[in-house]
Parts: sequence; C-alpha cells; structure tokens
Amino acid sequence: MIEIAGLSKIFGVGASAFTALENINVTIRENEFFTLLGPSGCGKTTLLRSIAGFVNPSSGSLTVNGEDMLSKPPYARPVNTVFQNYALFPHMTVAENIGFGLEMLGRPKSEIKSVVADMLDLVQMAPMADRMTSQISGGQQQRVALARALAPKPKVLLLDEPLSALDFKLRKEMQIELKRLQSETGITFVFVTHDQEEALTMSDRIAVMKSGRILQIGGPKDIYDHPAERFVADFIGDTNFVSADLVTEANGIAQVRLPSGKTVEARSPAGGAQSGSVTIAVRPEHAVLSEPGALIDGRLKNIVYFGTDTHYHIESDGQPTFVVRRQNQPDAVEHHQVGDTVGISFNSGTAQVLRD
Amino acid sequence: MTTDAQTERNRWLLLTPALTILTLAAAGPLLIVVVYSFLTAGDYGGVVWTFSTDAWFSVIAERDFFDETLSFSDAHLSIFWRSVKLSLMTTVVAFLVGFPTAYFIATRPPHKRDFWMLLIMVPFWTNLLIRTFAVMEIIRNEGVVNTVLMKLGLIDSPIQMMFTEFAVTLGMFYVFLPLMVLPIYASMERMDFSLVEAAYDLYASRWKVLRRVILPLVKPGAVAGSILVFVPSLGAYVTPRIMGGGKQLMLGNLIELQFGQGRNWPLGAALSITLLAIVMVALIIYVRSAENGETHHG
Ligand SMILES: Nc1ncnc2c1ncn2[C@@H]1O[C@H](COP(=O)(O)OP(=O)(O)OP(=O)(O)O)[C@@H](O)[C@H]1O
Ligand SMILES: [Mg+2]
Repeated sequence: MIEIAGLSKIFGVGASAFTALENINVTIRENEFFTLLGPSGCGKTTLLRSIAGFVNPSSGSLTVNGEDMLSKPPYARPVNTVFQNYALFPHMTVAENIGFGLEMLGRPKSEIKSVVADMLDLVQMAPMADRMTSQISGGQQQRVALARALAPKPKVLLLDEPLSALDFKLRKEMQIELKRLQSETGITFVFVTHDQEEALTMSDRIAVMKSGRILQIGGPKDIYDHPAERFVADFIGDTNFVSADLVTEANGIAQVRLPSGKTVEARSPAGGAQSGSVTIAVRPEHAVLSEPGALIDGRLKNIVYFGTDTHYHIESDGQPTFVVRRQNQPDAVEHHQVGDTVGISFNSGTAQVLRD
Repeated sequence: MTTDAQTERNRWLLLTPALTILTLAAAGPLLIVVVYSFLTAGDYGGVVWTFSTDAWFSVIAERDFFDETLSFSDAHLSIFWRSVKLSLMTTVVAFLVGFPTAYFIATRPPHKRDFWMLLIMVPFWTNLLIRTFAVMEIIRNEGVVNTVLMKLGLIDSPIQMMFTEFAVTLGMFYVFLPLMVLPIYASMERMDFSLVEAAYDLYASRWKVLRRVILPLVKPGAVAGSILVFVPSLGAYVTPRIMGGGKQLMLGNLIELQFGQGRNWPLGAALSITLLAIVMVALIIYVRSAENGETHHG
C-alpha cells in the first residue's frame, strides 16, 4: 500500500546540514495499524510529514497503491493528518470543521451533510455539532480532529502523537477508541508515538526509529521478544543485558557461553550476530530464580514488591544488576531473603543475541 | 472590607486622570470647533461672537457676492467626493500590497522577521515631507521613471504623473502602507500556521486556503489596518498638497485653507465637523459589514 524506498531527508546545506531521515525502507500494508516509535528527535514527524507532503524528501521514492506521491502537493494526496495540536479551524463550528475536506473536494451539500452526521455519531460528538471549536474540551477537540480527517475517507490516516496532550485516563479511552475507529473504517493508520506501551498495545506492526534510521520493523510481540539491537531492547520494556561469548551460530539459533561457563541457546538477530563477545538480552519475566549452580549465580541485593509482581535484583561479578520478575500469587510464601546466594535460569530460546 | 459605595468611589477616583485628559484633549476642542462653526468670520481671521449659520450653508452653497442670495454649489462636494474616493483607493491598494507583504514577513524564519519589519518601519520614522518628496522624485517629469522610460526609448516626452489623482493616491499609499502592514502582520504572526497545513491536507487549493482560512483569521488585523489607513487619508493635507500641487484639493487642504488664506474660521470648523461625520459614518458602515461577514462565515 505505502511503499517507501531509500527515502532520505537532509535539512539545511553545507556545515549546518542535518540528516533527519536516512535511507528509510518500509512497506505499510492495507488496513494496517502501523506505528513509528522512537525517542524525541529521531525523525518520526519528518517521516510522517514526508508522507503527507509537507516535507520534501532529499532522495528516495514514496508511492501509495503504486502511485507516486512525491510529485504531488499535500492537497492532491489521498492522505489525511490528525495534527498533534489538532489544528482545528477556530472560526468554524465542529460540523463545519468536519465537513471542510468534503467541501474542498466539491461534494454536493446533501452528501456533506450526511457524512458529517455519520462522523459526528462515530466520534460521539453529535450534541456539540454547532459549537465553536474553542468551546469544547481537549478530548472532544481530539475527536473532532479525528472525524475531520476521516470524513473524506482517505486511504491513509496519519496521526502525529494525537494522544500526547491528553491525561492518562482519557488517553487510555482514546487508545481503545482509535483501535475501534480503525477496524470500523478499514483505513490504514500510520501512528506516531514515543510511548512504547502505547505502541505495543495498539499496533499491528511497529517501526523502531533512532537518529533518522529504522532499526527494526515487526509485530509488537516480535519486537518485544526478539529485539535485534541493544537500542531496541533497551527502548522497549525492561531488559537484562548479559555479556557472553558466541560459540556457534546456525539457522538463526546461536549457542552462547555465559561467564559461568554454562552454554545456552539464544536467538540470533536477523542478519546474524557478530562473532566473539556478544551481548544477550533476557526479559525479567523470562527468567526465574533457582538454586545456585544455575546459568548465572549471584547475590540477592533487593526484593521490590509491586503488587502484581515482585522484582528480585541480583548482583553477580562483572555484570550489571540482573532483574527477575515473578508474578505474585495469592498467599504465596517468600522463600528468598536479601543476601542469599541464588541462581538465575531461563529457557533455551528466550534469550536474544543483540547487535550493538 | 470595602462597601460597594466605596468601590464605586474608588473606581471614579482611578478614572479621573483619564477623564481629565479626555476632556481636555478631545471633548474640549471638539466643543470649541462646534461653537466656532456657528459664529461669524472675522475680517482678518478669528471669529466674531455673533451667532450665524452661514458657515454651515457655505459647506454646500455659495453666497452671491452682490445680492447675497445662497445658491447650491458643488465645489466643496466635489472635494468631499475626491477625498473619499482617493482615501478608498489608497486603502484598497495598501491592502493589496500590505497583505502579501505581511504574509511574506510572517512566513520568514522568526529571527529574520525583525529585519523585514524594520525595512517597513524605517520610512515611517522618517519625516513626512521627506517621504513625500521622495515619491515625487520618482514620478515627476524629470524623475526616475520618466528618465528611464525615455532613455529606453519607450516614450518621447515625459508622462505627466505629478499633480494628478494618481500622484496623490500613490503618495498617500506610500506614506500609510506601514499602518496597513503592522496590524495584519500582528494577527498573522499570532495565527497558527498548522491551520494552513491542515487546510492543504484537507484538499484545499492555495486560493481556497487563502479565502477560507488565512483571510478570516487575519480579518481583525485587516479591519484595523484599513481603518488606520482610511481615516488619516481622508484628513491628509501635506501629501495631497505636494503631490496634487494645489490642483487636487482634498478635505484637509480645504480646511487648512479656511484657517489660513481663506480667513473663514467658522467654515473651517464646519468642514472639520463634516469630515468627522464622514469618518464616523464610514467606520460604522465598515465595521457593520465586517461583522456581518464574520457571522456569515460561521
Ligand atoms: N525544518 C527543519 N530544519 C532543520 N532541522 C529540522 C527541521 N525539522 C526537523 N528537524 C530536525 O530533524 C530531527 C527530527 O525531527 P522530528 O520532528 O522528525 O523528530 P520527532 O521524532 O518527531 O521528535 P519528537 O518526538 O520530539 O516530536 C530533529 O533533530 C529536528 O531538530
Ligand atoms: Mg514529532
């Protein structure tokens, strides 16, 4: 559906030139909820604005359904945007805002009226159709911005951190609402966020970005369980990093030797791991405490109770603190004490070899 | 604790300086002008304290020199008409030039806007006479335009531009342009340019974006700018006198004449009040229609 190949964007020239996007290659599928995730300044907005037509890429190609987009101005692209600050027209009512796109497309009045009514229902704003946009709350403005972008039935909807201005509760509500709207309308959503939890819960696929590059593309589970790079593992969820030596590698499965001398099976990243010393990632909930003499041995430094689960912080020589997360069971007895020597084990294949 | 009566008294106390200045600077002189317009002209200027409505009749009539009968005269009316016409033209041209100028400046990177605004403001801080003479230097028969055109062989003899209505309008346009650019720029700078992007995104062409988003949003600035240009144009007298060379009299010149060579202070006073009335009527019509436009757009 959206094919982006070799896309780069360099702002400025000469000494002040800045590469905001570097060789972006990605295919976004029909009806997909696709998320661009990354820290501030990594180029998410720039990529989104390139799709919308507000940024002119320095090189590369961009097509929607095989049709070249780069030669088209924003108003000729079958793409609508929900802006981060909503950008509702302050001199128009809620209904006029929603109808604006259709009006510009020259649709007949009767059609505009009925689509606007449908959209008002869809975002549950019908009672406020005739209010000015300054007379509605932030969450309501957000809904109107959504309805306005959806009304012309674009092929693609671009959303730039649309939920970042909302408080926690409203944010959760709108996350569910967005998912509902996406499945009801069948429109492809390209969603920008720097909130990893939001990305994991909402997306079909996620592209993790850093300094203008896409590091990894995959489903939420794929990205979470099998981060390819240290940055991705660190950015998404909590992770233990353990240094190890690569013994063998074949068919995406690597054998790594831990500092304890024990060997364990781990997934190697796409494109293969570097030979010699490597870093492996183990999610805290994939590891369990066991008797000493396990894969890793250490001293229990801290036990932190979180309600739903308990975190055990284990110190071992030459390694950063390892965290084991155990889900709490009702009436479970705590067998471990701070200061105990404990072992850490994890199943073959739960560990992931990282590229640096 | 303060009672309502105390608050009320304090309020009046606080208003006293403002009210004093208003009385001395606005209401007082206005009252004097009204009174003078009903007096008789002194032989060597000034007024004689005899009640007379002559001045008011003279606004639109002429007293015959010999038999002292009044007859309708359009001499003053044609000057009124020219004043209104040239002021309107000045305002329209100032808007047509000032709007794109303000847009240009508002879309520059923030650190460069001050420089462009300075370019607009520098002439404004220059003496009015010098600015007017500068325009004259450009369009007079031996001026820049005519010299260049003749050197290029496009014309054989200079085009007479000075002392025409065109010259007066051009002069006033140049002099008052900053007053149009400033308020439009101010409201444009406040405007959220992501609204423009949103409109482009929603399939609006450049022209539609201008008409449906930018113009409605900068309307307060455009209304203010138009008033700021129209009102002083209507009363201008330095520029019409230089650029019109005494052939294209405007209201300001007519009034000045009565207090000077004309030695008819009551007529000058009556004309001043007429000018004020024209301004008031024009403002009311303009603001009304601007408001209507607003509710019309929604
Ligand atoms: N017009 C511009 N001129 C120069 N540099 C720019 C321009 N726009 C963006 N950049 C730079 O490009 C980089 C990427 O910006 P972008 O807005 O895409 O980041 P982002 O990932 O959306 O960040 P955030 O999460 O903070 O919104 C930033 O370092 C930014 O400073
Ligand atoms: Mg951004």
